[in-house]
Amino acid sequence: MLVSLNWLKEYVDIKVSNETLIELIASRLVEVEQVIDQTKKYNHIYVVEVKSAEKIPDTHLTLCKIDDGGRADAKKLVRDADGLIQVMCGAPNVRKGMLAVWLAPGATVPASVNEDAPFLIGVRKMLKTFDSYGMLAGADELDLGDDHSGIVELDPASASAGDSFAELFSLNDIILDIENKSLTHRPDTFGIIGFAREVAGILGQPFVTPNWLTSDDTKDFPHDSTLDLAIEITDAAICPRYTALVLRVDDTAKKSKYLTKTATLLARSGVRPLDPIVDLTNYLMLLTGQPLHAFDYDKFLAFGKAKTPKIIVRTGRAGETITLLDRQTLKLTEDDIVITSNDRPVALAGAMGGLDTAIDANTKRILLESATFSLYNLRKTQMHHGIFSEAITRFTKGQPVAQTLPVALQYAALAGFATPLHLADQYPSPRPESTIAVDLPTINGLLGTSFQQNEAQTLLANVNIPSRTSADTLIFTLPPWRTDLSLPVDIVEELGRLSGYDNIPKTLPLHATATPNSLISLKTALRHHLAARGANEVLTYSFVHEDLLRKAGQNPDASYRLVNSISPDLQFVRQALLPSLLDKVYGNLRAGYHRYALFEFNQVYSKNRPLDADGVPTATHQLAFLYVSDDGQETYYYDAKLYLESVLAFCNISYQLRPITDDTAAPYFVKSRTVAIYDTTTNQPLGYLGEISPSILKSFKLPRGLSGFELDLTALLDASRSTPSQSFRTSTYPSVSRDLTLPLKNTTYASLYEKIRAVLDKHGLISKITPVSIYRQTDTLDAPPTVSFHLDFAHPDKTLTKSDSQTIMNQLEKIK
Amino acid sequence: MEYQESKTPSRGAHSASSTMSPQRNSSELDRLKAELKALGAAYAKIPTLPKEERASYGRELNAKKQKLTSQIQALEAAAEQEAASNLPPLDLTAPMAENAPIPSFLTADAGSMHPLMTELDRVVEIYQRMGFDVMESYQLDDEFHMFDSLNFAKDHPARDGYDTFRTAEGFIPPAHTSTMQHRALKANLTKLKQTGQIAVVIPGRVYRNEDVDATHEHTFYQCEGVYVSETCTLGDMLGILRQFFEQYYEQPLNIKTQPAYFPFTEPSLEFMIEKPASLGGAGKPGDYLEMLGCGMIHPRVLELAGIDSSRYQGFAWGGGIDRLVMLRYELDDVRHFESAKLTFLKEFSC
Repeated sequence: MLVSLNWLKEYVDIKVSNETLIELIASRLVEVEQVIDQTKKYNHIYVVEVKSAEKIPDTHLTLCKIDDGGRADAKKLVRDADGLIQVMCGAPNVRKGMLAVWLAPGATVPASVNEDAPFLIGVRKMLKTFDSYGMLAGADELDLGDDHSGIVELDPASASAGDSFAELFSLNDIILDIENKSLTHRPDTFGIIGFAREVAGILGQPFVTPNWLTSDDTKDFPHDSTLDLAIEITDAAICPRYTALVLRVDDTAKKSKYLTKTATLLARSGVRPLDPIVDLTNYLMLLTGQPLHAFDYDKFLAFGKAKTPKIIVRTGRAGETITLLDRQTLKLTEDDIVITSNDRPVALAGAMGGLDTAIDANTKRILLESATFSLYNLRKTQMHHGIFSEAITRFTKGQPVAQTLPVALQYAALAGFATPLHLADQYPSPRPESTIAVDLPTINGLLGTSFQQNEAQTLLANVNIPSRTSADTLIFTLPPWRTDLSLPVDIVEELGRLSGYDNIPKTLPLHATATPNSLISLKTALRHHLAARGANEVLTYSFVHEDLLRKAGQNPDASYRLVNSISPDLQFVRQALLPSLLDKVYGNLRAGYHRYALFEFNQVYSKNRPLDADGVPTATHQLAFLYVSDDGQETYYYDAKLYLESVLAFCNISYQLRPITDDTAAPYFVKSRTVAIYDTTTNQPLGYLGEISPSILKSFKLPRGLSGFELDLTALLDASRSTPSQSFRTSTYPSVSRDLTLPLKNTTYASLYEKIRAVLDKHGLISKITPVSIYRQTDTLDAPPTVSFHLDFAHPDKTLTKSDSQTIMNQLEKIK
Repeated sequence: MEYQESKTPSRGAHSASSTMSPQRNSSELDRLKAELKALGAAYAKIPTLPKEERASYGRELNAKKQKLTSQIQALEAAAEQEAASNLPPLDLTAPMAENAPIPSFLTADAGSMHPLMTELDRVVEIYQRMGFDVMESYQLDDEFHMFDSLNFAKDHPARDGYDTFRTAEGFIPPAHTSTMQHRALKANLTKLKQTGQIAVVIPGRVYRNEDVDATHEHTFYQCEGVYVSETCTLGDMLGILRQFFEQYYEQPLNIKTQPAYFPFTEPSLEFMIEKPASLGGAGKPGDYLEMLGCGMIHPRVLELAGIDSSRYQGFAWGGGIDRLVMLRYELDDVRHFESAKLTFLKEFSC
């Protein structure tokens, strides 16, 4: 929303500087997105009288002499003996005697000020002979509309040659671009008057609401019973109030060709001036927040094929269509509210008028609508049809019912081009006056302030919220436009805001001791652990393309599916992290990284998991790790295993690696090189470790050489907690070092290791077993591989003798 | 036999033995895939057929498509098995392969931690020191927690401001960590009775359905804070937030607020800090950074969670983490965060 400070100043007396005012607005009312300074936009632009106008034969040009009252002072300006200035004009409406707008040399064309190369006005040689000084401007060049049909003409009753154009219409303005979102709950501030009321409030001044805005006195309003205007609202919930006026257009006045201040205010507020009838509806909307719509009364009547006008407000019906002012034809839904003429839709209520009943140059009578509609229906209309007009933006905030009649009456009062004929007002269930009672201790207790009763009362009285007191209680009477207030806390907010939150003393409450979150602590520790071992932490999107799921061998049916995604890349909620990591390998290989490890901590979801007690999907907190190397070795599995084992050791978990039984568990791993990880203490599964399957690698266009693991962090945490901490033992007696080589025949490395461990433990030794190599003779086909270990062992209570050691080694060497 | 083959795991021998039959398979696979693709054109014909023929024609096409799809899947599965069976068997319990060196960790200087996670840890750690418990936010939630429990009226336009994703199953990847407020309050009712207060922060990943560019991400991180007691005030909230940022930037800070609108807090504010010296703010007073949205918890939000709003009051806030990282490292493009590009990540090595 664009707010003109000059317009604002017509309703509130502002004594502070613009900078202070903007600062106050930003800290106590609304976020100001941008401050548009237009104070220099109309410099060197004057009102001039065209003293002579001679058509140049065979051209569209007219050579003019203009009187600028001697105001312009550009260096190269040449005046004739009478002080007049020569300027060439191409507009068809230029004529002797008119008052026009002249851009003196040195002025910048206002419409171009924001362009990369603003158009600076100077002196031009026209048709090789005529010097032309400056230019006579059209509305489009002045940035006051789209009209390019001729130059702007001014009313001699209010302007004279030599006037500064900027001063004439107070165009030296500052425009505030307001962030609408922060006023979602404040429909009243979507008009200059409501905005000015708040500004008065934050400046600590009482605001005077114009009388007409609260007056619904219609006794002097003409009543033409022959018009017999009927308004029928099928459901007060969709349209709480509908006020309609009929006015007769006074032909001569309507065709006023002069630029008006109204038009300049519309242009400054981002609304295109069109036609006096429509401009006045927009002017009042910008002023009060109440959108109005003008129908051509006679078209309305003809379209409804009725003798007397019958307005029916109802919801749309399936199969109905309407063509709007912007010429698009919409299929109506049952959530849309339509205005109908005798049941034929003529407008999409709150959004846009229909083409069939549009105002045009021949309009003789106006049917003016001032109504309120259900913001819920209009929100659906807005979303469904994608209409974001100024009107619907205001209606979806919930415009107050009380204003429809006063604003309609003000239209009649300001419409110099028309004569009021008739009025009808349908207001099925008027709202009663309401009050809010709030205790002073509640206010101060919530804000941390120390307001006195009278201070609180004055703050709100300034914004026209009167109050009375009863002991410690303040009882506020709500004005009809404050639809946002209903609870005591709403009053507290107003007091805090109007007096300035920044003036509240900052304090610190006492606090209790925090309880640590073990899962978060575990993740933090593991991030450091893995990064210290050369791995790189990544984050990838929670949503994936269907192709990614398929490529990774996962069933998309098990994924929650997004229905309103902006891109097919974000269709499904991922079931596991590893496919996302796989997806990030190709780019990094291309970037020249050939050996690296990625890991991610994140949540994953599957429809196969049960919902929680609230009926919400439960997350699996996963750690995924992927080791990448494209150096041509054949046994990548062991790279990931190294990292997995360091993680498990770090968490102090005793574990087992078992062949996998569930075929669907981790489909991206090749079955023959995958193990399920189990916690030995609880026998709970923790995750999977394996080599990425060749077919999956192919689908990701990746070379061989990837292995990884995924762990369920909640299970990992449980396992870590359930494993008794191992006693850390040392011996003060010398340690013995020996090497041991054993054949690995019909057994696994792990069971061989366990057997060695068992022998050492049986002797009560403190020992360390370090694998050195697994060797297979390549020239002998049937010899089993041998495993070499390095052993360090010591006895806790004595020095081991040579023969002690030998006994132990003899037993170890017999292991099969 | 199998055992013997695996003994000589040279790359050449291995690939030679594995290409024979897959080649036959793959030509068959190509043929089936081409046939499936050709079905597209057949489908396109449907609208040109007489109405009464369309249904039966369509059914026929669907059956054919299903058959082709399952044939393709079977062949692909077979190809995978074939490829897998050609891998030499490994002792999966061993620490290394036969005749191969013991694998070693990558060098520590190659490692890195994600700056967003590091920042989140830093934030959480400060709040913990200030006495706040930590709870993690959900990545899938429902309409109740995302909106209803936060005093958003049904179908209210305020819901539109959040550009939420939705799933076919009726769930919402949350657009703010406030989705956890109701849970945080309910989960701590006992604590409130015992200690007289609730103090929780909730970090988490949130989502907005919008196009990605240098300054917009559909996926980002926030940290929520919730505090409830019998006496806490808006002044306390401003005090706590200022204390947090002073600890975070390790210097005293000026703060400023702006009125805002959130249905779940009243009053609602935007909280700003004067640019700290570490971000280039030294000697430039008046340059403020918007940090988070905050406010006194709406009494309805408390009541919905089973807290007596005539006895207790509270405040809550939520702010973005991504922005803190962008400011700290002077990053100019949010798209780096989820790119998983090592060139970017390695800037954050440990």
